Amino acid sequence: MKKILQITLGIVTSVGGFLEIGSVTTAMQAGASFGYQLLWAVLLGTLCLIFLVEMSGRLAAVSKHTIVEATRERFGFPFFFIVLIGMALVSFLVLVAELGGIGLALQILTGVGFPWWAIPVSFVVWVMMWKGTFSLIENGASMLGLVTISFVVAAFKLHPDWGTAAHGLLPTFPDDKKANYWFIAVSILGASISPYLMYFYSSGAIEDEWDETYIPINRIIAGIGMSFGGFLSMAVLIVAALVFHPKGIDVEKFEQASLLMTTALPKWGFTLFALSMLFACFGAALEISLSIAYFFAQGFGWNWSEDLTPSKDARFCLTYTVIIMAAAIPLLFGVDPIKVTIISMALTAVALPLAIAPFLFLMNDPIYLGEHRNGWLSNTVVTIVILLSFVVAIIAIPLEIIGS
Amino acid sequence: MRLKRPLVLAVTLLGACKPPTPEEQMDSIKSWLATSEMVAEGWLRHTNPDKYSRQTLELSHETLVQISTDLLSSLPPAVDSAALDSVLASSRGHIDQMARLIAAKNSPDFRRQLDSLRADEKTVEQLSNGMPKQ
Repeated sequence: MKKILQITLGIVTSVGGFLEIGSVTTAMQAGASFGYQLLWAVLLGTLCLIFLVEMSGRLAAVSKHTIVEATRERFGFPFFFIVLIGMALVSFLVLVAELGGIGLALQILTGVGFPWWAIPVSFVVWVMMWKGTFSLIENGASMLGLVTISFVVAAFKLHPDWGTAAHGLLPTFPDDKKANYWFIAVSILGASISPYLMYFYSSGAIEDEWDETYIPINRIIAGIGMSFGGFLSMAVLIVAALVFHPKGIDVEKFEQASLLMTTALPKWGFTLFALSMLFACFGAALEISLSIAYFFAQGFGWNWSEDLTPSKDARFCLTYTVIIMAAAIPLLFGVDPIKVTIISMALTAVALPLAIAPFLFLMNDPIYLGEHRNGWLSNTVVTIVILLSFVVAIIAIPLEIIGS
Repeated sequence: MRLKRPLVLAVTLLGACKPPTPEEQMDSIKSWLATSEMVAEGWLRHTNPDKYSRQTLELSHETLVQISTDLLSSLPPAVDSAALDSVLASSRGHIDQMARLIAAKNSPDFRRQLDSLRADEKTVEQLSNGMPKQ
């Protein structure tokens, strides 16, 4: 009975915590600019994420190591330091985007510009980190994030032609705006396969004291929870394809995005969109802040646990305090969170091999995994998707810069 | 010397960044006109709050002023720039009026401005269809 409850809670938190500003913005831009044509990118990203999250939990449950601890131990400090710099930079940009997302949601609800929200929002996130426990951050924020299910309701209410939508699950070449098409595809992959999620998940498994008996639970949570999460992203894309694409609206600003659900849900659509963004970004901001602090603390061998009092893991707490404060600065100066989001998602795709390649080595190392090492399927899927994302990112990003 | 190569590469890349083409600018204009129409329809149906609607119409107006100026200075000769200038100025006027009418909660006048904006959108669409594809 306890395990069923754990599985249910795990699935619910995976669904509630899946969407964040990156996945919403990229899916919305894809739907607005290319209709259903980029659904395949969401599918591919979700599939890869299912494998990666399952692997993160399995590594923690079997080896009792987080990804960061195992990477540092197996590859040594110089290599780990390169990974640390790359991941910290990319995660920091994503944190700026998430805090900005909360600010933008509050802006459309109150009319007060997002730069004014930078300090209050960062303070609330910091207080949650300082006072909260791991389960409060993991479960509480994700429960609030369940409001994002309203995207699925909106998609069904618009009665899409499911047959036409299904064609989008197969990759096709665009007729025009080719550079933009591939740039958005890469951004979707970057938003779906966020490395911070893996670090958060493996650290969470250690915080929750998983052992080998959790392997089946981990598989179910990763498989079902992430699949439903991916379905939420697809719902965003479908709604944008039905609402914005026919009108020729390209989502450049958050003010345009706010209209996403007003056609399907005239009475509550506007508020539901704002609340969805508010809670989704809030949950993601907590998870990213925690992931960055985990990364530094586990890499440098400091005490770390969200369940310890700050006096017991002072350097861990100092790390997230500094990171959250620093992330508020660009927003104070009015840096557009949507632009930061798009850039950070594309850069995430470029940085993926740096995070995933050592992780794949670890997952095939008998010293850490014993008989629970990766099979050929997970190795193949993850390798193909990561290489694809990297190659497309290397080509599409310069083309997008040169093009506009 | 070590720094020279990345610097040259960065400068070349920045130099290669070209401004948006007239076609892209026209798409952006149509996108913001459609956004204004959607916001206005939403305000009339009471699906968007007043403050958001007013601020978004003001943002549309501001953005359209900027893109229109850039577009009119780079239009290909095949396009009737006087007609485009006139219809864009008219559209911006309607959007500006609608933003003001929200404060006065004047729905009948607001509806009239929206109808005129829709007519302008059609004209912009026709002029845009006459633009040579790049």
